[in-house]
Amino acid sequence: MNPPGWLIDRLPEWARSIRFRYTLLYSAVLFGLAAVVVAAIYLVLVMSLRNEPVSSGIRGKVCDFRQVPAHCFPIDLFTARELERNVNAETVTKLRNYSFGALGILFVASLGVGWAVAGRVLRPIGRITAVARDIQATDLSRRIELPGPEDELKQLADTFDAMLARLDAAFAAQRQFTADASHELRNPLAIIRTNVDVALADPNADPDDLRNTIVVVKRASDRMARLVDDLLALARRQEPRFEHEPVDLGAAVAEASDDFVVPAAARNIVLDRTIVPGVTVSGDRDALKRAVANLLENAVRLAPARSRIRLASGSEGDRAWIAVADEGPGIAAEDQPHVFDRFWRADKARSRADGGTGLGLAIVRQIAESHGGQVRLQSKPGVGSSFVIWLPVAATSAAELPPRPPDPAPAAPVATPADRARPSLGQPPR
Amino acid sequence: MRVLVVEDEVDLADAIARGLRREGYAVDVAYDGDEAVDKAGVNDYDVVCLDLNLPKLDGIEVVRRIRADDVGQPTRVLMLTARDSTRDRITGLDEGADDYLVKPFDFDELKARLRALLRRDAGRSGAVLRVGDIELDSSRHDARRGGHPLPLTPKEFALLRYFMSRPGQVLSQEELLEHVWDENADPFTNTVRVTVMTLRRKLADAGDGQPIETVVGRGYRLREP
Repeated sequence: MNPPGWLIDRLPEWARSIRFRYTLLYSAVLFGLAAVVVAAIYLVLVMSLRNEPVSSGIRGKVCDFRQVPAHCFPIDLFTARELERNVNAETVTKLRNYSFGALGILFVASLGVGWAVAGRVLRPIGRITAVARDIQATDLSRRIELPGPEDELKQLADTFDAMLARLDAAFAAQRQFTADASHELRNPLAIIRTNVDVALADPNADPDDLRNTIVVVKRASDRMARLVDDLLALARRQEPRFEHEPVDLGAAVAEASDDFVVPAAARNIVLDRTIVPGVTVSGDRDALKRAVANLLENAVRLAPARSRIRLASGSEGDRAWIAVADEGPGIAAEDQPHVFDRFWRADKARSRADGGTGLGLAIVRQIAESHGGQVRLQSKPGVGSSFVIWLPVAATSAAELPPRPPDPAPAAPVATPADRARPSLGQPPR
Repeated sequence: MRVLVVEDEVDLADAIARGLRREGYAVDVAYDGDEAVDKAGVNDYDVVCLDLNLPKLDGIEVVRRIRADDVGQPTRVLMLTARDSTRDRITGLDEGADDYLVKPFDFDELKARLRALLRRDAGRSGAVLRVGDIELDSSRHDARRGGHPLPLTPKEFALLRYFMSRPGQVLSQEELLEHVWDENADPFTNTVRVTVMTLRRKLADAGDGQPIETVVGRGYRLREP
């Protein structure tokens, strides 16, 4: 039922439809089968009846003697066998004629029946096409919702509906992201613009006022720059492809945390590092470092002075983990489901003033999930928060990597953060 | 004219307040929704510039509470929003905002919209106020008597504008303090009396007669011609 393309292209418009081709095929097959059956019957019949023309037999005369003179006329006289032959020849001829007639009628009827049946079978496809054509990118809320039994076409329509639902969700998420991003960018932009407008409108502004304005503008533009960086990081992560290579998790975590030693010390915060070497995961090294950095950045920003931040990494079974625990303000139970949402902030004013973009944890979650992992949070207001990233261990074993030099700063062997975090965070996600 | 600026971005709120004060408005600032409702409950503001997205109490809720407290002259609400979707604007206007402005905005536009809102109460359609031979153009910050420019300080200008928007009415010292000075003014000083005095002297210098008269025991009144 798949004629070559050039043939289809040459057909007139009305003859290109599946319905037409299906009808032709149906009709041809039915006609062919019927013709074979009729031919077979005909042949069998012909073979069993000798179909010979009857030669003239003995001629006789029949007279009617009731009339005077007697009226006589000649007749052919047959033997019984000759009579039988004659009848047979007549029957076969008739059968042949009727068969041709019946085949002709059958052909016409099969065309009609084929057209009707094809139309009925293909009707749901017409509906699917009509809905698909109606749906524009802006109105993905429509569905085909094909009624009827669970057959192949219903499955097709349902699959199509499911695809539309996914597309709809993806578009909605994208719109929301754009709206959120523009909202977040408008605020620093408004700060810059209003401060500049107000400064320019004052012809008598003294250098101190102008200097203050410049400081405010710098603060706002720094915030925008960080925001743009984070937005780009999120957008890039949404692309399906990214580097997949074996990453020495311990080394990546150690490198990411090196940048936080000085800022933590500046706030009199102790940064405890307990890194188990030899754990390899498959993924993007820079992204994993960024996830660790984001967690540490939050911890250093929110933890009170003279507190302790514990960073640890290791593996358990076929799962690797990175844990960051702080003694910061903690997160209220009702806020915990939201902390990984974009632009969510526990305390808007404070977080903005501290330079938070509201995207850090969203990026962490995205990085964890794009590596086939998860991020878990446990937090108690007033006690602190611990974040644990679980990642699948790479299929290639750690032994294939070059041996890692001994950890330059072996951490205290007792009570690592992971030891404390693990039991309360339950089993690694499977 | 007394304005409350409600905005959680400190740098933005302070810039708006600074700019409006220079225009002669009495400006108070609130950095969250709770503070805004508290201040609107204590003081009688002519206009509230309200950010929609506020910590503690959402801007829409603030509008509702301000509207619920409204007695007498309604407080005008100018909504500032970083959300530019039509739905958000409709919600804001339906909940009682009088106008909206999408961030980032031109500061001149903010000033023009504030003037337009204040004119609505006075039932006038232009930016120029006229009472007798006194003319006041608030958009150009220009006041004249009989064509002669009046060299007014921002506070005197604001005071004259308040008088001119209520010609013939007796205005008490308390009312003037409430609408022309912000919350940083000390109610126990004679700042109102002193400013009225300097304004009257400048008006007298520019023309014949004193248009602002003292109503003993009650306050001051701008004479209608």
